[in-house]
Amino acid sequence: MGDTPAIRVDDVAKRFRLYNERAGSLKEMITNRQGGRYSDFWAVDGVSLEVPHGSVYGLVGHNGSGKSTLLKMMANILKPTRGSITTDGRISALLELGAGFHPDLSGRENIYLNAAILGLRRAEVDKIFDDIVEFSGLSEFIDSPVRHYSSGMFVRLGFSVAVHVDPQILIVDEVIAVGDEEFQRRCFEHLFKLRNNGVTIVMVTHSLNLVRQMCDRAAWLDHGVLMAEGKAVDVVHEYVDKVDAAENERLEAADKIKAERDAEFADAARPVAVTQRPIVLGEIEALDGELRSSRLFHTFEPMTVRVHYQCKQPIEDPLFSMTIESQAGVLVSWPGMQPTHLPGEMRDGWGHVDYSIPRLALGPGEYSMTVAVHDHDGTAVLDKRERVVTFRVSTDEAVFGLVDLMGTWSGLIPREEDQS
Amino acid sequence: MTAVKELWSYRNLIYNLAQRELRSRYKKSILGWAWSLINPASTLLIFSFVFGVLFNSQAPDTGGSHQSSFALYLFCGLVVWNFFSGTLTGSISSLQASGPLLNKVYFPPACPPIANMFTVLLQACIEGGILIVIMLVIGNVSVTFLLFPVLLVFVGLFGLGLGLVAAVYNVYLRDVNYLVAVGMNVLFYATPIVYPISQVKGKVPSWVFHIYEANPLVQFVGWSRDAFYLLRWPGIVSFGWAATASIVTFALGAWIFTRKARNVIEEL
Repeated sequence: MGDTPAIRVDDVAKRFRLYNERAGSLKEMITNRQGGRYSDFWAVDGVSLEVPHGSVYGLVGHNGSGKSTLLKMMANILKPTRGSITTDGRISALLELGAGFHPDLSGRENIYLNAAILGLRRAEVDKIFDDIVEFSGLSEFIDSPVRHYSSGMFVRLGFSVAVHVDPQILIVDEVIAVGDEEFQRRCFEHLFKLRNNGVTIVMVTHSLNLVRQMCDRAAWLDHGVLMAEGKAVDVVHEYVDKVDAAENERLEAADKIKAERDAEFADAARPVAVTQRPIVLGEIEALDGELRSSRLFHTFEPMTVRVHYQCKQPIEDPLFSMTIESQAGVLVSWPGMQPTHLPGEMRDGWGHVDYSIPRLALGPGEYSMTVAVHDHDGTAVLDKRERVVTFRVSTDEAVFGLVDLMGTWSGLIPREEDQS
Repeated sequence: MTAVKELWSYRNLIYNLAQRELRSRYKKSILGWAWSLINPASTLLIFSFVFGVLFNSQAPDTGGSHQSSFALYLFCGLVVWNFFSGTLTGSISSLQASGPLLNKVYFPPACPPIANMFTVLLQACIEGGILIVIMLVIGNVSVTFLLFPVLLVFVGLFGLGLGLVAAVYNVYLRDVNYLVAVGMNVLFYATPIVYPISQVKGKVPSWVFHIYEANPLVQFVGWSRDAFYLLRWPGIVSFGWAATASIVTFALGAWIFTRKARNVIEEL
């Protein structure tokens, strides 16, 4: 081991030829000779990085950023057009689970075949065979042809083989997102175990949480170019910032379209006829700590919701409320003014109310807001805007689930009687 | 040299690929393995009838029992031909079929063609075994049978050498596959399988005959007949030439393959 990294990627580039019309036969090849009807596409361009031994390394980036191409080059499947990749240790690549399974052969036969593809000798397979079967949980079906397996069973067997071949370097391409929850959990447990045993793991994933949780280092690729490389947390942070900016634009654009569309139906949909409505909701703003309008918030940072209204006739103690829904439609919170909270009498004209959240305790994800205004006892809805603002929460910290309960752990405190 | 070392470390894969091919070949068929005998038997029957009976081709007398059997004479040539043809065409199809797999996992791309050769080799051994049994029954036995394994080695090297080149170029140009099919057809009749080589001798100019003879397959078929039928050792010139040709073909084929194969994977 020593100072040599497990994988050294040195100024690697990969070019793909995109043929406009594939020269598939001799005649075409000759007649098209001069034409050169292809365009070059650099999937990876000048990437250099080092994966230290025993580390977990994450590759992040949007679709088509060249992550998988880089991974395939690390796994020795593709040859770099330029530059070199040197690896130190036995590599097992999980690019597709169960690749090479033959449908007519039994699970048992396929285990031997698959392990051989991964470079194992027969005696070595004999030794780990029982572990593979046990891990996959398919002992009952091990002697029936894999064509009768469900897709879940198929990948379970594939994963079991791949992680049991005792790799020194494991290359994982977004394949863990398979199987049921129980199996996924075991996959991760196993990956952690491998990591603790000093196995170097390189993974491509879209789950930034996973990168934060598991990876020591990470690299961010964009259109084949290395944008950032370093400690996983820092890289993810940088990546999130960039994605945030793009996301902000997207969400704002989406809201604008929605607002325009809503405007057409708005009057019909509103609970109280427009003419009788004493108060009308205007723009709803989501503001960050510096009271700038944003669609992107970070967990535990301040957020203010500003509701603009237009009062058409004086009205006493109107009650404002809002709901926050997760993307899946789960009602996360429903903060509303209580009747005891008396905003006072409203005069004609425009104004706004603020709902300030000192520390936004939402987990990462996309949320939408619905705002409503009621009369003074909360019975009649005077105006309501459904899912009027969509915003996104991202986090650099370990926040799982929709909300953080802001609790703290303490202990360990021994029982009283044990002390004596 | 590194390529050889690498292939050696993947020998279990070659074994498993061959095993996969053999195991899955006759799954779901009632006669199963019997098909591997029925197939050559039917060819033998047809050729014996067409060339032996209709065209009245004559085979020379056997070296031991001094009787003439055109069917057995034919069989000696067919064993060689089947092995060669199966190795060459199988190399092309096996590499093509492994395309998806080679894009997912790394292993030396020569493994599928080599594994294919071994499955065909097994078939050749079975056919050779049957030939030996028949020869034992009719009492045409000699120590020259020992030439058979040597013959298989050289035919295998020759077929694999050509197969590797054809397989790798077939990825770029599908024409290669069709070209090979046509070539095999020509080669079958350009090899003295369904007729004795003596038929060719006086009928063509001598320079044409020399070219004809230069085809290692002509020699290999000759060896097979020498070993099983005529019970004599092949001439030193024939042996030297065919052995050298097959080794050179294999070395050249392997060299081209190792140079080209890595770039081919993404085209598969």
